[in-house]
Amino acid sequence: METKLDTGALSALRNVAYDTQAEQGGSFLAADNRILESRAVSEMLEILPLETALEKYDWLAARLHTLVPADADDKTAQVAAEPKKLGYFIRVRENARITLPIQTCYLINQSDFTQLTHNVVIAEKGAELHLISGCTTNAHIKSGTHIGITEYFLEESAILTTTMIHSWGSDVEVYPRSAVAVGKNARFVSNYIALSPVKMLQMNPKASIEEGALGEFYSVAYAPAGSRFDIGSEAILRGKNAAANIISRSVSEGGEIIARGRITGEYPGGKGTMSCNGLMLTENGRIHAVPELVADDLDLELSHEASVGMISPESLAYLMASGISEEEAKSLIIEGFMDLRVPGLPDYLQRQIDELIRKSHTASAI
Amino acid sequence: MAAPILSIDSLSVSVADKPIVRGLDLTINEGEVHVLFGPNGSGKSTLLSAIMRLPGYRITGGSIRFREKPIHNENTDAIATMGIGLSFQHPPTIHGVALGRFLEKINRTDTLPQAVTSLKMESFLERELNSGFSGGELKRAEILKLYAQNPDLLLLDEPESGVDLENIAIIAEAINKILEHDKPVKLRKKSGLIITHTGHILDYVNADIGHVFMDGKIVCSGNPKELMQDIRERGFSGCVACLAEQRENHGN
Repeated sequence: METKLDTGALSALRNVAYDTQAEQGGSFLAADNRILESRAVSEMLEILPLETALEKYDWLAARLHTLVPADADDKTAQVAAEPKKLGYFIRVRENARITLPIQTCYLINQSDFTQLTHNVVIAEKGAELHLISGCTTNAHIKSGTHIGITEYFLEESAILTTTMIHSWGSDVEVYPRSAVAVGKNARFVSNYIALSPVKMLQMNPKASIEEGALGEFYSVAYAPAGSRFDIGSEAILRGKNAAANIISRSVSEGGEIIARGRITGEYPGGKGTMSCNGLMLTENGRIHAVPELVADDLDLELSHEASVGMISPESLAYLMASGISEEEAKSLIIEGFMDLRVPGLPDYLQRQIDELIRKSHTASAI
Repeated sequence: MAAPILSIDSLSVSVADKPIVRGLDLTINEGEVHVLFGPNGSGKSTLLSAIMRLPGYRITGGSIRFREKPIHNENTDAIATMGIGLSFQHPPTIHGVALGRFLEKINRTDTLPQAVTSLKMESFLERELNSGFSGGELKRAEILKLYAQNPDLLLLDEPESGVDLENIAIIAEAINKILEHDKPVKLRKKSGLIITHTGHILDYVNADIGHVFMDGKIVCSGNPKELMQDIRERGFSGCVACLAEQRENHGN
């Protein structure tokens, strides 16, 4: 690491699973607007600062904002107006399978900093890539703003999983703006985990899914008092037999969560399932589940289920009747509720997610 | 004489303000297994739920003591920790919690892996607790839970209902193991209270005393197999007739 980070920053990085000691396929780290690390271990993989990639590849500039338009909203416009781009360019070459995780991380390291980022990820035909993306603030910093555009391009039969872990300061506002083009027979998996307080987090990534491809969005959010999440995912089934799954688990302990999901079927044979479940831990919080299905063709299978409720007294009593204390029983139920099994996710990633969820909420006041 | 492990005096329990148990007395001594017979819906399960202080079951009178310590004001987890274990008739599904993880949390034995094998639950350890389990699997999981808890007093709510003969044998073997029925009678310290509607479990687990529970209280006690025989021949209406006859003879 070129620049020394203080203990508050290093502990924040650990909370979002950014581990410089772990075996990895590559890494990218930026603190405020400085890029501290950008490296790839394989020749088949490029990890470059976006500015460097724009200098290196003439064609790249034309691809920026093809998935997330610059004028989509005031946030994207703010990023697009930035003359010097802060962000990464990650590309996996055709048929290259990078099985070790690529770790990326954005850190806000000074109070009230506004971090504007633009990332491009390209998985070429038949390539495979697993990203772990952490976004966090130095443990001593409570306020700031992060607005980040990420455009993911999956070419035919590519596989890309992205596990994004957010751990912000309690007065930070966060506006990720992501979109994905999932090419023919490709598979895109997004895991999103946000388990710490945040002033406002609003995002609604969109996936355009082509013939035979699959797009999956899994998200877990925990909102303590004072936190507001407006998080969703949108999948558009654009080709024959395209499929999408959207699964979200929201836990409110006094905070507000709007959990959105929208699947639009535009082509015959499309399949989409959605499940939005919310768990209320106190009377003061709010969970608003908004599952939406749109059919623009006759031959589609789209379904959703949504539920919002409190911990079942029956479940609690059952666990307590086995000698588990009320607090531990609640913890076990919440942990179980947030436990997302992502089919096909590499074991090390699933273990990491499990560990994060366990750690985060033993640390919280649940 | 063995000391009482469970002493219930004049217990009354209401569910949603409706009296279900009305002035029940029962004493179970250390090492004894009692069995409670009674018609469906008579409130047998209510008694077990009240002993565990499960929510929705309000004790309106009387007392429950475990090893002479009053427990009718204790919390459910404290009662379980003292050494009382309940196998539920209808255990709820606990989403996201794997059976194996649950057992790890509650285990107080050194021989849990052997019990997992003998109850044929190896392939269920990674499954969500009680999720999609068949009738027999639910019962086996409940008994495995009790095995891990290793309580001194077992409360078994219809352990054989909805279970085929093969599963009853497997379940009964584990119950006998927890109840230390592999030890000589004098050395047994574990006790049990079994609720049964069909009585099939008695073909596999030896009980010392049987009780007939009707109208919110125990109306008759005796040899469990003989009581079961009477009930099989005459039904619970036979019990009503018998009680009436007893009262008449008493009156004479």
